[in-house]
Amino acid sequence: MALFRIKVNGTEHRINVAPDTPLLWVLRDSLGLTGTKYGCGVGVCGACTIHDGKEALRSCQLPIADASGKSFVTIEGLSATGNHPCQRAWLEEDVSQCGYCQAGMIMTAAALLQKKPNASDAEIDDAMSDSVCRCGTYLRMRRAIHRAASEARKL
Amino acid sequence: MKLNRRQFVQSTAVAGAGLVIAFRFPEVLSNTEPAVFGPNAYIRISSDNVVTLSITRSEMGQGVRTNLPATLAEELEVELSKVKLDQAMPGVRFKGIRLRTSGSGSSSGTFMALRRAGATAREMLISAAAQEWNVDRSSCRAELGFVIDKTGRKLSYGKLAAAAAKLPLPENPPLKDAKNFRLLGKPLKRIDGPAIVRGQATYGFDVRVPGMLFAVMERSPYLGGKVSSFDARKALAVAGVRHVVPIQTGIFTGLAVVADNTWAALKGREALEIKWEKGPGSEFDSEQFLTKLQSAFSEEGFPIRREGDTATALKNSASRIAAVYEYPFQAHAPLETMNCTADVRSNSCEVWAPTQTPDTAHADIMKTLKLPAESVKLHTTMLGGGFGRRLFSDYVYEAVELSQAIGKPVQLVWTRSDDMRNGFFHPASVEQLSAGFDAGKRVTAWLHKSAGSDLSMFGPPTEEEKKDVDRYAKDGSPWGAYDNPYNFSSMKVDYVPVDSPVPSGPWRAVEYPARVFARESFVDEIAHVSGQDPLQFRLDLLQPGGILTLGTRKLDRTRMIRVLELLRGKSGWTKPLVGSDKRLWGRGVALNIYHAGSYVAQVAEVSVARDFSDFRIHRICCAVDCGFVINPAGLEGQVESGITWGLSATLHGKIDFRSGRAQQGTYEDFRVLRMNEMPNIETYLIPSSERPEGFGEHPVPPVAPAVANALFAATGKRMRSLPITPEKLMKT
Repeated sequence: MALFRIKVNGTEHRINVAPDTPLLWVLRDSLGLTGTKYGCGVGVCGACTIHDGKEALRSCQLPIADASGKSFVTIEGLSATGNHPCQRAWLEEDVSQCGYCQAGMIMTAAALLQKKPNASDAEIDDAMSDSVCRCGTYLRMRRAIHRAASEARKL
Repeated sequence: MKLNRRQFVQSTAVAGAGLVIAFRFPEVLSNTEPAVFGPNAYIRISSDNVVTLSITRSEMGQGVRTNLPATLAEELEVELSKVKLDQAMPGVRFKGIRLRTSGSGSSSGTFMALRRAGATAREMLISAAAQEWNVDRSSCRAELGFVIDKTGRKLSYGKLAAAAAKLPLPENPPLKDAKNFRLLGKPLKRIDGPAIVRGQATYGFDVRVPGMLFAVMERSPYLGGKVSSFDARKALAVAGVRHVVPIQTGIFTGLAVVADNTWAALKGREALEIKWEKGPGSEFDSEQFLTKLQSAFSEEGFPIRREGDTATALKNSASRIAAVYEYPFQAHAPLETMNCTADVRSNSCEVWAPTQTPDTAHADIMKTLKLPAESVKLHTTMLGGGFGRRLFSDYVYEAVELSQAIGKPVQLVWTRSDDMRNGFFHPASVEQLSAGFDAGKRVTAWLHKSAGSDLSMFGPPTEEEKKDVDRYAKDGSPWGAYDNPYNFSSMKVDYVPVDSPVPSGPWRAVEYPARVFARESFVDEIAHVSGQDPLQFRLDLLQPGGILTLGTRKLDRTRMIRVLELLRGKSGWTKPLVGSDKRLWGRGVALNIYHAGSYVAQVAEVSVARDFSDFRIHRICCAVDCGFVINPAGLEGQVESGITWGLSATLHGKIDFRSGRAQQGTYEDFRVLRMNEMPNIETYLIPSSERPEGFGEHPVPPVAPAVANALFAATGKRMRSLPITPEKLMKT
């Protein structure tokens, strides 16, 4: 066990866990931030995606020892009131079914649009196809990402 | 959970029955909660104008938490946004009321009961207002949470609740005319959308209870294996690990490792030293099993359907064709893996479970812990996908046993590979089809023999059932083979059950996908052999329309014909399919009638590289008649979802067993469809005022044959086993 410091959604946390604990379990079990989901634990489904600066990060793949001193944003901190363009577009397009994968999908999409505000279908597919939605909401997701991009351009 | 086949078919096909009965035994709750008007178990209206609806189904993405309150709000005459939702808890108030979510029956099965519940409350509120004003009740009407009389006076439901609670229940409250619907039949967005996009929806995995511990379990790697001996010392030495506990009640026995957090539990599990007793399924090999299924065709099996004289028709036929189709084992792989949180105390038990069967889980826990109904609280959380897997409560029993053993609240979670390797799999099956033609290429005989395993939940047949050779036919099984909608002059359908040690259960669309893949592919083979257009051929085979009665089911061929005709127009079937000439293009069609209720047909468009090294599905058109559509937006979502599910199985899904062990354990080796593989999906509805039917599963069965038939149209290669891969295409 060792003491680590991370900042999540603007708040400093000190956590005493084993150094190899993936950030995912720190968020969920130590900090109670359960919006970030477990889906596979091996970085292939995208359910645990959060932001490390501008980058989408699979939190199941980063040990806390390598996260120490850094600052992260989770779905709970993506926007103050749930009004990030992606969140709004997700509601407009009525994307979610079971909803379990959607936090990871939104975080992945938000990171994509930060880098590529005019992402094409192909770029969206490229960024999103490492993520799994077992309900099959992909078509609505793609529409929502285009909608979020066009909303963001208007701002 | 043991059901016999008949109980299962009833609990899925006749989904409404439980609620209708429930409504005959309404509970007036005003005795226990004086300020609350509760004309039945579903609704409570309190004096502060809060209308609360108890949802009696599990939300797993199919939209029950949207459709059910809309149905109530329509008749009750309240705004949808004013209906507060809680999740029905099995036990006291919902004793005897069905809380099971299966058979695509949630929205359709609760439709009339919720309408009557809403109408009952509305009529009682109107009577209460008429009494208060001392006017004839015919001068009063209900509107958006108020009763209003013709002078314009109004009283809120909250103000009327206490008086309404004292009135007798009306016998036959009038239901609204569909032409006056404000909500039903209109597109509605998911009520849980805002919570989901903010990460605030609570799934089983997200339950947090003060003082809880976290656990994972090591289960036998061999089908049916057991712990023979173990050494927990190294596991207990891992920082944060508290207990190692043998567990007996799950799908397979094993050892649970309990720790302060999930990661410590996982590391503790890795450090366990276990010797396994292999058990009866340890030699099981799925490739050998497929061979065994094929050799079962030499057995007589059970008669499913007999029409005309196939033997004579075959003997007299001018030509014949025959083919065998294979469907592999499949995993459910919902994104939220199995998990449950339990807090067992000496005289009580509280459980939080993402389950499709809270009622049976509750009853079983009561029995196991010897506790009365009111001492077992079971909270149904949101489900991160169900698809049939969560009809089983093995993971709930594991958590209850574990919490009882350690005397603390604990969350037991399954990893992805735990989930994929220890499921209740969709059982593999093999279908043998043959047909005879006369000289005019008219089909004179249709023979379908199906071999597969019965679902684990049916258990072995009773002595009485064993004597009944028609027991499968009476239950309309195998679905898709039994309820073949086509009009052949002679038909013979048989089923050969073949035991396997693989636990198996309902998987989205249950028995249909394998049988419809075979049936619709073979109809296509016949059409091509006899030089007929595959869509027109199906239309011809459905003539002269009208009702086909099979046991208790009535299949309406006229409705199927209308769906197919709509699809022909919308898909552009009769126009040439134009695409890059660097690739081969083709269209395929398939249809299915699900439990004589929903009528679905699909056209798939594919293109294939000229060297067959890759292929792509570009577009799937789906035409649907499922009666009155409660929420058209929700239905479109289910079409997209069901087609995606069907495509995952068509292109990727397969679980292999070698030496009694499932070989796949991640989304990399058991792939499901990703965004870059999605075709465009178009949904076309037949407007209908018929009784609403379910739709969660119904788009699945036609997907695989529509794609296989399109690939044949493009390449002349017939794909008769799933998954269909470019490698198979190249080898064929």
